[in-house]
Amino acid sequence: MSNIKTTLTGYAGYRGREGHWAFLLHRITGLGVVLFLAIHILDTSFVYFAPQLYDEVLKVYRSTLFGIGEVVLVFCLFFHGVNGLRIAYLDLLAPKAWTIEKTRRSTYIVMAITLALWVPSAGYMIYNLLRHNFGMFGG
Amino acid sequence: MSVTTKEPEKIRIQKNFDQIAWMAMRYSGVLLIPLAFGHMILQDVVVGVHQITTDYAMERMATLGWKIYDILLLAFAFGHGMNGVRQVFRDYIHNPRSFRIVSSILFIVWLVISAIGAITLLAINPAMGR
Repeated sequence: MSNIKTTLTGYAGYRGREGHWAFLLHRITGLGVVLFLAIHILDTSFVYFAPQLYDEVLKVYRSTLFGIGEVVLVFCLFFHGVNGLRIAYLDLLAPKAWTIEKTRRSTYIVMAITLALWVPSAGYMIYNLLRHNFGMFGG
Repeated sequence: MSVTTKEPEKIRIQKNFDQIAWMAMRYSGVLLIPLAFGHMILQDVVVGVHQITTDYAMERMATLGWKIYDILLLAFAFGHGMNGVRQVFRDYIHNPRSFRIVSSILFIVWLVISAIGAITLLAINPAMGR
């Protein structure tokens, strides 16, 4: 337990700024995506193992709470992917660019690309959620 | 006056599992950009959960092209994810024996869930559901 306390106070107190935030967000979004992925593989297996139960799965997927979670999930995957591409590029092709200044700048570029992908996707998903679950926009 | 700058030496170290895993995380990550982004943009954004039905899922998984796509996605995404979880545990578990136990548990979880997913993808055929 003291381990977790040290971790959390360390993460909050360390002032690494952009590079540090990117590391934390990469880790949190990665853990979130893999947790969803494990559930998603198992629920999709219902299509084969118990097709009549898959309708129940789809009901959960269509719920408002899940819809909000889905918008968050899309952010997590976009951020993790774009930031991961930055890590792969730096590690494999440009290891000399692993400097504080350059990683700070590239973190902002990653965030800009992530938002450019996420904002329109989230907008369309929220539109669909409001249409189907709240009868708005003529749904 | 001569300044001697020593060229960095290239050293060759024996490949071990963690080195290969480190490389695999980068390569599989790059491959997952089209695979995972494509899957998510198509199913969550373009099609959307409200349009997905059991028949739709079954028909899609019975199509050869999507079957291959989904098998690649399952293999690379879940392997990448579970190895990521292993790396996170490594930062907090310093006892080598405990870490080996955790790694083994993660390996079994990965194997079982991947097998369930693979059986689903391989078993669904066009004759089902109609």
